[in-house]
Amino acid sequence: MSALIASTVHRGKSGRRTHLTIAVAGNPNAGKSTLTNAIAGSRLSVGNWPGVTVEKKSATFDFQGRKITLVDLPGTYSLSPYTQEEVVARDYLVHEKPDVIINVVDATNLERNLYFTLQLLELNIPLVMALNMHDEAAQKGFRIDIDKMALMLGSAVIPTVATKGEGIGRLMETAVAFADASETQRPAVVSYGEDIEKAVAAVAEQLKDHADVVSGHLPLRWMALKMIEGDARAIEHYQTEAYAALTEKAAHHLRSAHGEDLEALLADVRYGLAAGLTRETLRKPEKRKRELTERIDAVVLNRYAGIPIFFVAMWLMFKLTFDIAGPFTDWLDGIVAGPLPRWAAVLLAAISAPDWIVSLVTEGIIAGVGSVLVFLPPIFAMMFFITLLEASGYLARAAFVMDRLMSAIGLHGKSFIPLLLGFGCNVPAIYATRTLENPRDKALTALLIPLMSCGARLPVYVVFTAAFFSAYAVTVLWSLYLLGIVLAVLVGFLFKKTLFRGEAPVFIMELPPYRIPTAKNLMIHTWEKGKHYLMKAGTWILAISVFVWFGLNLPWGVEAKKESYLGKTGQIIAPVFAPLGFGTWEAASSLLTGVVAKEIVVATMGEVYAPGAEEKEEEASSFSEDVREITVSFGGAFVDAAKNVFSTFGVATMSAQEDEETAGLKSVLAKTFTPLSAYAFMAFVLLYLPCFIVLVAMRHEFGSWKWAGVTIVYQTVLAWMVAFVIYQGGRLVGL
Amino acid sequence: MTLADLKTGQSGKILKISVSGALKRRLMDMGVVPGTDVRVEKVAPLGDPIEVRIKSYALSLRRGEARHIEVEGTHSS
Ligand SMILES: Nc1nc2c(ncn2[C@@H]2O[C@H](COP(=O)(O)OP(=O)(O)OP(=O)(O)O)[C@@H](O)[C@H]2O)c(=O)[nH]1
Ligand SMILES: [Mg+2]
Repeated sequence: MSALIASTVHRGKSGRRTHLTIAVAGNPNAGKSTLTNAIAGSRLSVGNWPGVTVEKKSATFDFQGRKITLVDLPGTYSLSPYTQEEVVARDYLVHEKPDVIINVVDATNLERNLYFTLQLLELNIPLVMALNMHDEAAQKGFRIDIDKMALMLGSAVIPTVATKGEGIGRLMETAVAFADASETQRPAVVSYGEDIEKAVAAVAEQLKDHADVVSGHLPLRWMALKMIEGDARAIEHYQTEAYAALTEKAAHHLRSAHGEDLEALLADVRYGLAAGLTRETLRKPEKRKRELTERIDAVVLNRYAGIPIFFVAMWLMFKLTFDIAGPFTDWLDGIVAGPLPRWAAVLLAAISAPDWIVSLVTEGIIAGVGSVLVFLPPIFAMMFFITLLEASGYLARAAFVMDRLMSAIGLHGKSFIPLLLGFGCNVPAIYATRTLENPRDKALTALLIPLMSCGARLPVYVVFTAAFFSAYAVTVLWSLYLLGIVLAVLVGFLFKKTLFRGEAPVFIMELPPYRIPTAKNLMIHTWEKGKHYLMKAGTWILAISVFVWFGLNLPWGVEAKKESYLGKTGQIIAPVFAPLGFGTWEAASSLLTGVVAKEIVVATMGEVYAPGAEEKEEEASSFSEDVREITVSFGGAFVDAAKNVFSTFGVATMSAQEDEETAGLKSVLAKTFTPLSAYAFMAFVLLYLPCFIVLVAMRHEFGSWKWAGVTIVYQTVLAWMVAFVIYQGGRLVGL
Repeated sequence: MTLADLKTGQSGKILKISVSGALKRRLMDMGVVPGTDVRVEKVAPLGDPIEVRIKSYALSLRRGEARHIEVEGTHSS
């Protein structure tokens, strides 16, 4: 083997390809992403595989004078056709035909990893094994016979420690050498036993004339095995009904000897072989030490302490997220509200742009960009903590602890965290559903997230409770949060029985060992998750903000808000709200703008109910003063964040402060609302469709508007019904 | 007897998976194949799911899923 590598590793050999594609495949948590990052570094780009929201990470870079494309495949336990990840991985391997596969194997968990390796070998693509986590294996006292393993698999085996970059150089050199020698460097054909091999030969004999096989598009052995397994996707996809019939003959023979389930038979045989390979190559120490992970779990998953520990962890994460992000959000808000539009106005005046352009830029575009920016700190903070939970191994434990509760409403244990995050801000919560693998669980969780009352709704509650319920403000506030939770349980139950009926949820999950995540890993993953939002959602949000600006400012030269398109729309839809107790155009217009962000409801109410009170002229400040102020307040944001982290109390809320501007509003509200209609209004604000940033996030996470559409419809209906019941019910009992 | 009947700390050997289709394949892909030893390590604080040790790693699954896995008890410790 090493002779072969030596003979092909020479540079400048004629006939070698100038662009190589290398697939990185392996079990979840084996270290594929860490390895890919170690090799490709910042050149990695992250997106989604077409049609599904499974992450696609790839990087193209120069290595030894030629181009290499590295593709980090989703982690799977098998290449069966049952999960999105598996389908993505195998379709890529079968159809895109990488020049070589780097199979990342967790050396501490050899048998299960080798089961996957065996399936990769069936593809007949040159394979190089990265025997990763070699440090952990060594620490456990495992001794692995690498040469023997390489010989048995007909592949190269390179020990690596992805986190430290150990073995990476050799791995890449070997992979490239294997790609160059791909005609001869095929992996071993591992025999699955006489009976199966006979059937494979018989089916392969029939398949070898299939066009895709002839043209070299499909690996023959793999194809034959899939036919025998009765792999529905393969049979359908390759349209081999005729062949399927022939397969049936071979399969029939196998069935009579080995029982009905051939898929299970093959899984069984592969595991048998994996066990054999493990026995041949791995020496474990006689006595297994009680590992750190088990000792931590004895506490963390303890019958009595498990749940309290979980809640403390959640509370900490929640608090830290908003404590740290809050000051930076305020800082960004300050820039977007003050200096930025000022500078833009000055610039535009310098080129003598018409007034409406100035207004469009400052109130439409900059405000739109601003609404994207202010979400950045909480999104990045939250993604950081989620990454931390995920990478450390605690996320799986959290799911384990909460699953019982969540399964009652048809959810997965992992759904709890996105739902909880929803109380801070629904947008990062939607992105947090990425930790759920199953599309069904993901969709159901995302649909319930908007019922969690986010920070942006609080300003609305604050104004109304202050105006109507100052004596029992806290109770009223809590009742609203509780209303959201209770409805989430009911709606979840309803969806489970309707939209998601028949899709059996499963909870079969590995509990990976605890690991201390590396700083580099944390940063990369946090950035990848946040970048998505910045790039994709940003453009949508900008477009919609501009749209709303036009709504408020058309027809041209409109003065009174009532006469703008938005105001007119408000007048038209106002009767819809009459049975709910707030059928005025002012309330209707405010609710309409609330689609941009729910706290805007208060701002709009300020404008439509109490015009004139707005916009005190600010004293002009020079550019350099602005810059100094921004810099100083940025420093201040750090200090505030640090203070927040260390202060134990003070409920973390975003933009919850009540300022003088709303004082005038309160007295106006007291005249147009009754306590009952005020409560109905608050419930409506809690429940009606979420801000469009959430909708954009949903479209982004699910690749279509479908679930965003469902959310719009069900929440609007729900909000109306609940507000109706509150208002009319309250009147019935004489409130 | 099924895996769901084993108590914390008890071990068993897997005899058969009495369900078919995706769930069976998923279980087998995770190493739940006949002849393999399992040991129930923990029960979640609310009684479900359970954590088992199989092929030297920790797997968690719901009792509903564990009921499809037939085992014979070996010994308890
Ligand atoms: N000790 C040690 N830890 C490692 C090594 N390689 C990766 N890790 C850690 O293992 C964990 C999982 O690594 P990832 O790179 O995210 O694994 P993955 O294969 O991409 O996982 P999925 O994307 O879920 O399939 C991380 O916490 C890494 O820091 C290694 O060689 N040694
Ligand atoms: Mg990964």
